[in-house]
Amino acid sequence: MYRISDQQIDFILDDIRAHGITMESLQYDLLDHACIMIEQNLEDSGDFEQYYATVIRAFYRQELREIEEEALLLVRYGRHWKLSRNSFFLILFAVLIGPFIGYDGVWLAVHGSETGWGLPVEIWGSTLVFALFPLLLFLVLLLTPERLDPLIPRRSLILIGIRPFIKIVPPEPEVARGQ
Amino acid sequence: MTYPTELIKGTLKTIVLKLLADNKKMYGYEITQKVKELTADKILITEGALYPTLHALETEKLVTVEVEYIGKRVRKYYSLSPAGKAKTREKVKELANFMDTMSALLDIKPKLA
Repeated sequence: MYRISDQQIDFILDDIRAHGITMESLQYDLLDHACIMIEQNLEDSGDFEQYYATVIRAFYRQELREIEEEALLLVRYGRHWKLSRNSFFLILFAVLIGPFIGYDGVWLAVHGSETGWGLPVEIWGSTLVFALFPLLLFLVLLLTPERLDPLIPRRSLILIGIRPFIKIVPPEPEVARGQ
Repeated sequence: MTYPTELIKGTLKTIVLKLLADNKKMYGYEITQKVKELTADKILITEGALYPTLHALETEKLVTVEVEYIGKRVRKYYSLSPAGKAKTREKVKELANFMDTMSALLDIKPKLA
């Protein structure tokens, strides 16, 4: 069994870095993998550099750095905040109506005892008016069949900045939920 | 016969999670060899697919990493976190369900031993 020297380990590590792998954890993974393959398959009298070139070439299609790019891509994909459509509308409803309900509560706490715990018409009126839009969204969500929902397309993405931040996922199909 | 990468890609996370569930802790090379052995060389996991997947699982906190120094080099052992154990059950169930659905869809009759 071939035994890799410390100098050869440095050589592999430098080569991995030079080929665009900047993440330390990935460098260690690839280094260990390459070392094991060399130690298990190269003969004692074999040409280390030549065999290493063959081993590392088998790790990628075009360039070694595509491994790091793929790793970053998978992590970025996993970081999406996934929301079901129902949750999305619930949150939207809470965000839109919440401030009005909150204001009404604070107003009652401050002035309630003076006015006999009744809200003036302009306050409950504005709450009602501004609640109508979110209420309408909520009703449409509940009453409109899945494919005809006019407010939000299936698999829509909310763009904040340059890439999707929130991914709205459609409800799971029947098959995926189990028989 | 080796299965094409396209078929394996969507199931790689499940494969890795299940292997870690069955073997407590493993390092990258060991995972590739175990898959090769269990599938009689029909599934060959490439380094370019395995390490990004392990990195993603680590970021999602589904696996934990233990480091062992072998002379000058570092060996990373991966094992399941508690969240990873729950995720493994979920992913295996999902894949089994998917296979049933595909069998029904493609009208594949189960082979009798």
